Amino acid sequence: MDIRERLNKEILIFDGAMGTMVQSKGLKLGELPEVLNIKNPEMIRQIHQDYIDAGAMVLTTNTFGANELKLKNTPFEVEEIIHGAVENARNAIGRKGIYIALDIGPIGELLEPMGTLKFEDAYDIFKRQVIQGVKDGVDLIIIETMTDLYEAKAAVLAAKENSDLPIFSTMSFESNGRTFTGCTPLSMVMTLEGLGVDALGINCSLGPREIEPILDEILRYSRIPVMVQANAGLPAIVDNRPVYDVLPEEYAYYSKKFVEKGVRVIGGCCGTTDKYIRKLVEKIGDLKPIFLGMEGRSGVCTPTKAVPIDGVKVVGERINPTGKKLFKEALKSGDIDYILREAIVQVEAGAHILDVNVGLPEIDEVKTMVQVIKEIQSILDIPLQIDSADPKVIEAGLRVYNGKAIVNSVNGEEKVLDEILPIVKKYGGAIVGLTLDEKGIPNTALGRFKIAERIVNKAEEYGIRREDVYIDCLTLTAAAQQKEVKETLKAIRLVKELGVKTTLGVSNVSFGLPNRKLVNKTFFAAALYEGLDLPIINPMDKEMMDTILASNLLWNKDIGGSEYLAGQVSHNTGFTEDKNDEMDLSDIIIKGIKEKSRAVTSKLLGEYEPLEIVNKYLIPALDIVGDRYEKGIIFLPQLIQSAETVKSSFEVLKESLSIDSDINISKGKVLLATVKGDIHDIGKNIVKVLLENYNFQVIDMGKDVALDKIVEKVAEDDIKLVGLSALMTTTVKSMEETIKELKKVNSDIRIMVGGAVLNREYAQMIEADFYGSDAKEAVKIAQMIYS
Amino acid sequence: MEKIEINRNEVLRYLGYKNQEIDNITNNLIDESIEEIRDLMEGKYVYKFFKIDKGKGFLLEGTNFKLPGQDIKSHLTDADSCIIMGVTLGHKVDRAIRYYGKVSMAKAMILDACASTAIEEICDKVNEDLLKSVKADNRILTSRYSPGYGDLTLDIQESILDILEAKRSIGLSATLHNILIPRKSVTAIMGIVNETYEKAQPSCIGCPQYDDCSYRKGGGTCGY
Repeated sequence: MDIRERLNKEILIFDGAMGTMVQSKGLKLGELPEVLNIKNPEMIRQIHQDYIDAGAMVLTTNTFGANELKLKNTPFEVEEIIHGAVENARNAIGRKGIYIALDIGPIGELLEPMGTLKFEDAYDIFKRQVIQGVKDGVDLIIIETMTDLYEAKAAVLAAKENSDLPIFSTMSFESNGRTFTGCTPLSMVMTLEGLGVDALGINCSLGPREIEPILDEILRYSRIPVMVQANAGLPAIVDNRPVYDVLPEEYAYYSKKFVEKGVRVIGGCCGTTDKYIRKLVEKIGDLKPIFLGMEGRSGVCTPTKAVPIDGVKVVGERINPTGKKLFKEALKSGDIDYILREAIVQVEAGAHILDVNVGLPEIDEVKTMVQVIKEIQSILDIPLQIDSADPKVIEAGLRVYNGKAIVNSVNGEEKVLDEILPIVKKYGGAIVGLTLDEKGIPNTALGRFKIAERIVNKAEEYGIRREDVYIDCLTLTAAAQQKEVKETLKAIRLVKELGVKTTLGVSNVSFGLPNRKLVNKTFFAAALYEGLDLPIINPMDKEMMDTILASNLLWNKDIGGSEYLAGQVSHNTGFTEDKNDEMDLSDIIIKGIKEKSRAVTSKLLGEYEPLEIVNKYLIPALDIVGDRYEKGIIFLPQLIQSAETVKSSFEVLKESLSIDSDINISKGKVLLATVKGDIHDIGKNIVKVLLENYNFQVIDMGKDVALDKIVEKVAEDDIKLVGLSALMTTTVKSMEETIKELKKVNSDIRIMVGGAVLNREYAQMIEADFYGSDAKEAVKIAQMIYS
Repeated sequence: MEKIEINRNEVLRYLGYKNQEIDNITNNLIDESIEEIRDLMEGKYVYKFFKIDKGKGFLLEGTNFKLPGQDIKSHLTDADSCIIMGVTLGHKVDRAIRYYGKVSMAKAMILDACASTAIEEICDKVNEDLLKSVKADNRILTSRYSPGYGDLTLDIQESILDILEAKRSIGLSATLHNILIPRKSVTAIMGIVNETYEKAQPSCIGCPQYDDCSYRKGGGTCGY
């Protein structure tokens, strides 16, 4: 019987631990159990045999760590280990009806942004395992003990794209209800369910008692079969080995309890043996699966934060180049920091989700989307809405997104639906549906409702649930189509009857009118009343945000008004204009009062040209600060605070330069990178801040940068000065190689180096042109080169 | 584990402080960062005891792992067994430092210094508890010796994590180039020695870190 079919008819029983069994048979600490597949196949076969005798229905191959990174110090290839492992399982199977699950555990190295392994490389590592498992004829794939949702996603994608096998996937949670990397049960459920696994759940780390509350949460959310493999309790270390405190009887008691709660797949993890499985089988007897009736719930997530759409959630609209000169420039020059700042300010202002649109004809949208998503999710835990018309961009974005995202958007056109919905389904996203089609936007609410209905039906045909469809009823401009404005509002109410959520951008309504804010706010309040769930607005607009608070209060959603009241308190104690605004900009810089510099710089712009401000205030103040630092009057954090104060001043100046002005105040380009193998980048980032202060254009390649990438960029951007940093003795070698290669390609290039392990002699030895003992010195070197 | 204190003077030392006058903004930033790190850190540790088979090239019994290089061997001259430990502050600290790197470098830098102080203090705390436990047998511990010191190469990091089963027990792993992840983590080896063992006089000469030491560059010492 096909395992998917069987899953619907009976409780599926997995085996117990492999590691515990081989350790008890003499495997040494630190040794890889996987090599025993070849060195001692009989031992492994016997373990499988014991589990079959105990009543297990699924055997897990001894391949938990059979990946190319873990096996690199053994004489064996991934393929031969997996082949041996599957053979050992197969040799144990005497009777029919036993399945073999290809076991895939974590790679053992963490993915970016926590570690240095790329998502794409993780995918390739897993792919190799999957392909061999398929070749050897396993019946299913179990991806287990994951602590990083991103890694679990890479593994699931590798399994789905390289096999048709059922996929079961479990993660390990700690007693605080999160995995080591902070993933929550709800985020796991949303993401894995979306990716289309056949069963999901929890294993390892905890005993059944400690797992129970986390399991309850998973059962509450999951609409697909739930799996549990607990440890035999919490370990105590005796003679360097874990000893578990839950005995087979107690383990079986909990297992039965779990099945009665709705668990459909059960087995054991660390510390469990065939004795545990035998008891478990006895205790569970012929209990039948319980099918939990799950209500649909809308929501999106990152690994660490799930955002249920159970009230008004703000989608920040600012990551979008439309009509924004500086944003366009940032996209063209690859200034990711600028885009990140746009993300950060929106999150600080209270956005729940961020729309990400990087569509600009002159850039590679696919590449930029991937980069921006990866960068945002490396520092913020806010779900994203991938905004593009290009299916390639959407797919690339969904692929690297960590969690469950929204795609913006499809409309009622058949072709668009057929192109985009399968992608959204594959990656388990939610989708924004615009109520328009090839004929345009219907004038009436009913017309838009019909398109919405079509979108929902089509989505369901593709397997996307209606609670994952967010309908946009489209705002029209009052100045042009006054009588249709209210049709949008009527449509919101209508489409909600379809059981979907609604989204809307509102600012279009006031286009061409004076006092646009008033019109926007009024329309917005009405839309919220009609049931708008996901307004796409600028969260920096306090009045719009306050309108949400007031609406929630008036319509009895903010019960007791606590959120409204909290919002008003922060108003009163918020930033007040005080006499500090009278402070001199130089003084503000010297004292490093970053938050004052914007206002004061703006004020000065009334009197002076940007360049005058630079020369009259910024440079002299910086010189004073630099001097005080060199004389030991202030220390590094103070220097940096002043530098950042200058930086925010600069931002104001840049914003003020008119669109057609071509003032180039850059003194020259400097490329900075932390070399391959090294990820210590604080020092490099400090150098960057200071160089930018002195008007150098910094091209920041980041950390762990491969030599060829640096060489390529230097040629591409015609760079004269490169700054390299390394913090470890081992990576100075990598620095030396980078220097050698750079000089070989371009003998005119000048290279400065810095980092704690370096000194002047060392720098000379590796043939760097300059040694920068600190950030201030790096500036002097750059000034010398570009003087 | 319970919250530890973060010594402000240590934080300042990491920041290269040499008695400059600290303004209020910076002072507040440091205090706020200390609290933030105390709040974010999820200190976890694991340790194991090993007998050292010196006849077999400093093989740790029960494993296939031999301590490589000369320096760790001389560090353990008087020891017949040792403790290996792994300690980490967890991922939340890394994430906060990454975040502030984009918002305020000054804050990121100070948080980094606070986290470095915190991990050292956890190590000291674990060290202290371990010392108590060996003292019951009239033994004491040598100082902590970590991969990267002297000729004890970083590439043993993976083996150490494996024998500690640190990935599964405390979520501690390493990159391909042997940098510990989470970033604020330590692995270390301590010899178990008789109470009569005399700690080498604290002196920088002869220290394996002599050339690279940032304390010494700054005119100070690490205190050992």
